[in-house]
Amino acid sequence: MLSDKEILELNELCNALVDGAFTEAQRVRIASWLSRSEEARQFYVRAMALSASLCHYATEMHADEPDNIPAPGARGRGWFGSVAAPLAAAACVTMVFWVFNRGKPIEPLAETRTDEVVARLTASKECQWGGGAAFSPGVVLRRGQRLELAKGFAEITFDSGAQVVLEGPATLDITSAWDTTLRQGALKASVLPEAIGFSINSEAVKVVDLGTEFTMIADAGGAADVLVLKGEVEATPRRGPGLDSILLRENESRRFEQSGVTDVRDREQKFARFNQRVPLERFARPVRYVHWSLDEREGAWLKADDFGARLDRFDLRLESVPETKRAALSVEGRSQSALRFDGRIYARAPFPGLSGNVVHTVAFWVKVSEDSQLSSAYAMVAWWAENRQFGSRPVHIGWNRNPNEGTIGVLRTDYGRGFALGATPLRDGRWHHVAVVFVPRADGATLPEVKQYVDGRLEGEGRPSPPGGGFSTNVNELVRDAVWLGCRLGETGPKRERFRGELDELCIGEGALSPPEIVQLMKENKPLTLEAAAQK
Amino acid sequence: MRPPPDNETESRKRLVSLMTRHQRQVFSYIYTLVPDRHDAEDILQETSLVICEKFDDFEEGTDFVAWACQIAYWRVRYARQKFARSKVVFNQEIVDAIALTASTLQKETGDRHEALLHCLRKLHPRDRELLLTRYEPGSGVPEAAKRSGRSLEAAYKALNRLRKLLFDCVTHQLAMGGPR
Repeated sequence: MLSDKEILELNELCNALVDGAFTEAQRVRIASWLSRSEEARQFYVRAMALSASLCHYATEMHADEPDNIPAPGARGRGWFGSVAAPLAAAACVTMVFWVFNRGKPIEPLAETRTDEVVARLTASKECQWGGGAAFSPGVVLRRGQRLELAKGFAEITFDSGAQVVLEGPATLDITSAWDTTLRQGALKASVLPEAIGFSINSEAVKVVDLGTEFTMIADAGGAADVLVLKGEVEATPRRGPGLDSILLRENESRRFEQSGVTDVRDREQKFARFNQRVPLERFARPVRYVHWSLDEREGAWLKADDFGARLDRFDLRLESVPETKRAALSVEGRSQSALRFDGRIYARAPFPGLSGNVVHTVAFWVKVSEDSQLSSAYAMVAWWAENRQFGSRPVHIGWNRNPNEGTIGVLRTDYGRGFALGATPLRDGRWHHVAVVFVPRADGATLPEVKQYVDGRLEGEGRPSPPGGGFSTNVNELVRDAVWLGCRLGETGPKRERFRGELDELCIGEGALSPPEIVQLMKENKPLTLEAAAQK
Repeated sequence: MRPPPDNETESRKRLVSLMTRHQRQVFSYIYTLVPDRHDAEDILQETSLVICEKFDDFEEGTDFVAWACQIAYWRVRYARQKFARSKVVFNQEIVDAIALTASTLQKETGDRHEALLHCLRKLHPRDRELLLTRYEPGSGVPEAAKRSGRSLEAAYKALNRLRKLLFDCVTHQLAMGGPR
């Protein structure tokens, strides 16, 4: 039997091991104990299990009040215990589904929010609105909203990247970023390749866009004409004798009605009419950009610009890297040079106003190796965000390391009380373009809108986090109003977690960039001008 | 071999249920062999994937935790080779001996986990806060020291004392026949 003295020694050794304050002499000592004594091994196993349990309870309770300690009797529950067991179950379903369907990325579990912004009115011409509403260009459109256009033209850009020009008189229901319903009237849809899969419904037909431009005309009797101007669509009748999908190609058209599918009357005139471009008055919204090409380095400094002129006060400084090793951090990038994060370094650039309740978009290229470890997921880009209602918390853009919440390796954005998950695994050794649109609510009382784009495609909208987590009240001034690369952020500065991978062409736009603007940044590495937007 | 589609849904449900219920125990086993939270979480993740892939091999009615811990054991062995011993402190012989002891104490460590909750409730709130801060994801002793207003040395000492206190409390709880 172990003596009290021996127990005290073992206890001290186990504590040093758990806290990472372990000397080589202590390692040898405990190894000696464990190799020769079953009693010592039992003590060790119980001590380690105690720490594992404390990890569990600390995760579960986090900064909750003592009274919130879960009631006893939660016997046999999983890693997330009594508080979040349903979440854990749902998360396990996600992981199981992923493993059974390896190779087919899945969408994370979606939360439906009725007030969610899913589109914007981006251009118009001589609009008169019905239904007592008046929409001006630039206004955001929410899930479930109905547009009744009495006269004129209105362009709606969905967050998926699909654009619809509605021609009055027409009634359109905004269903989500990925679909809409034409109740009556005519529209012309243009869908970026990144928004393939966008669908438009009418009473008579559902049209799934396969990367194209097409027109739908829905009449009061419930019938609908579909004319394909470019590319191809998949049209599925919603009623009538045959419900098989029809693939319609360029210059093909069909009429869908109760009695079945027929040819479109006056098709030549309709093609001629809808092939004409209607000049629209575009909403002019100046966006200020700060851009770090990560190409030009002077000592520890990397230069900032606005895609033209230099912006000295935003220059990025490399930290935790000796002068002799700086050169090795510049590697071949997506465009000229990129910055390699080796798991030790991080970088910081001042960005006045970034921590405030402001709308902005963060975009960059990232490359993560296939064998990147879970401990290297925090964080590609981070900043501190303050919110009167939700308190002060860091925002981290990294990749998901929590299998209980989604597929490992997909883009993940964490922010106060919420997080967003993507669908494309980033750990494949290839460059991916990432853009995260961050829109705090004006009332400060509801969660911010967060939308993620990977390679130009919308994947991952914000949803609430599980309960728990504290807020900081004592944030170091160094942390505020700065953008941080390659590290996890705490209230006093970077925490010990570091990102491993490469970053290139970082830019922050002071506004919610539209999908076409994000695609432009991705393809051209420069902002979309108003003139170019009008040509698209 | 994968079950036919009709059985696949049932199989998934069973797997989800078992993993939800027992993931903590598997983590505890891994942590005993690899006493670093990040590393243990990495190995738990890898283990979970293997469990999903090999779930068809699991025999209904047998001990899921024992089966999952076997898989975890091999992931730890693999980690030793892959990371050239940097992630595990002990040599393979000692790891094997610990693994055997951990397996025999599986039921007891489950009971100790539950008893710990009662012991945590008995701590002074300030002490409990220090402990839980230390074990929060991404935190550590320096963070706990800072938040509690202690020096680093004082925090290490306090944590050592509290862990011993909890260890003894849990042992006492079990000796008394369960949580009180």
